[in-house]
Amino acid sequence: MIRNFDKKQPLVSIGEVETYINFIIKGLARKYFYRDKTEIITQIAREGEIISSSASFLSGTPSPYRVEALEPVTVFSISRRQLEKLYDNSVRIERLGRKIITHLVLQKEEWEHECIRMETRERFLHFVYNNPDLLQRVPQKYLASYLNMKPETFSRLKRRPQVSGPKARPASQRLALSDKKERK
Amino acid sequence: MTKKKTPYQAALDDLFHYLSGFVPLTKTEFNVFLPYIEIREFEKKVKVIREGEVERYINIIARGLVRKYLPLKDNEVIVQLATEGHIIHSELSFHYRTPSGSVVETIEPTVFLSISYDSLEQLYQRYPKVERLGRLIMSDLFIKKDFRYFDQLSKSTRERFLDYIRTHPHMLQRVPQKYIASFLNIKPETFSRLKHLTRSKNT
Repeated sequence: MIRNFDKKQPLVSIGEVETYINFIIKGLARKYFYRDKTEIITQIAREGEIISSSASFLSGTPSPYRVEALEPVTVFSISRRQLEKLYDNSVRIERLGRKIITHLVLQKEEWEHECIRMETRERFLHFVYNNPDLLQRVPQKYLASYLNMKPETFSRLKRRPQVSGPKARPASQRLALSDKKERK
Repeated sequence: MTKKKTPYQAALDDLFHYLSGFVPLTKTEFNVFLPYIEIREFEKKVKVIREGEVERYINIIARGLVRKYLPLKDNEVIVQLATEGHIIHSELSFHYRTPSGSVVETIEPTVFLSISYDSLEQLYQRYPKVERLGRLIMSDLFIKKDFRYFDQLSKSTRERFLDYIRTHPHMLQRVPQKYIASFLNIKPETFSRLKHLTRSKNT
């Protein structure tokens, strides 16, 4: 089923059970939660990518995330019930499902490893190199949140991305997965 | 001989129950999988997979305790601590068939029920039910990963410590403190302080 959302409209809200997997045909969406009152963005997705509160979709538990249109967005959505039917009717679809979920698991694993291995500047460069389009389309503060860095840090890095040689940091200062209070 | 077989039988029974939790499975169906399963034993502190090797197996721990870590320049960061019934392997390497960036190493003497990449592919080709099993196990892994990631980002150090101790009460006895601290991304000093705090509360 095709669904359209206006900018800032939620595809799923915090506390709801996610009923859809969404494939973006047009537009941009982000996924986030609140830590105290701060938004923490965990995904930004564009055309050709899947976004949904996947763990909620798979487990049937309430979503701790909100998924929201960043630009007006058109998605192709499949509901849980439809998907179960497809799985029952075709082993090939079930295989596809397994492969997509495996891909999601591996993406998470890769992201975790990157966050541990790379220091802030490296992560910034890596991201910009791989996603030049998002730099144009997404407000900086959102990208900063996604990369788990302060907006100031993000704009500083953006101003002079080609300064050479990051100094190796002690791993105790590793950023992305770390607790904010542990960072100093 | 029989004494040696007993723990494996128990482990296989556990595996049967684990898999039955995902799809209804008869013993006969389960027995079809048995030839594909390898039993692998390791002493403690053995690197089951090293950095740069390509991971050939998915392992379920029948007995023992294993950690997975990323070796960095001057230290290492633990990304998983796994005990009986848990799946552990270098999954990026396994699925992408690329050299592993992580190390899987035993902490205690460990027995794995392992299935190789090739065996798994054969199972997927031959038995449709395995597709469903694979999908549901991957879903389960995804959900667990997502919760862990969410916890890391949303909870304070103290909350993460207390939650872990509450949900994994035996780990403090079995695992060196510095490993748990690394896994929870808490400095060892902070970890000791927090541990002290819970003790003084109890007395």
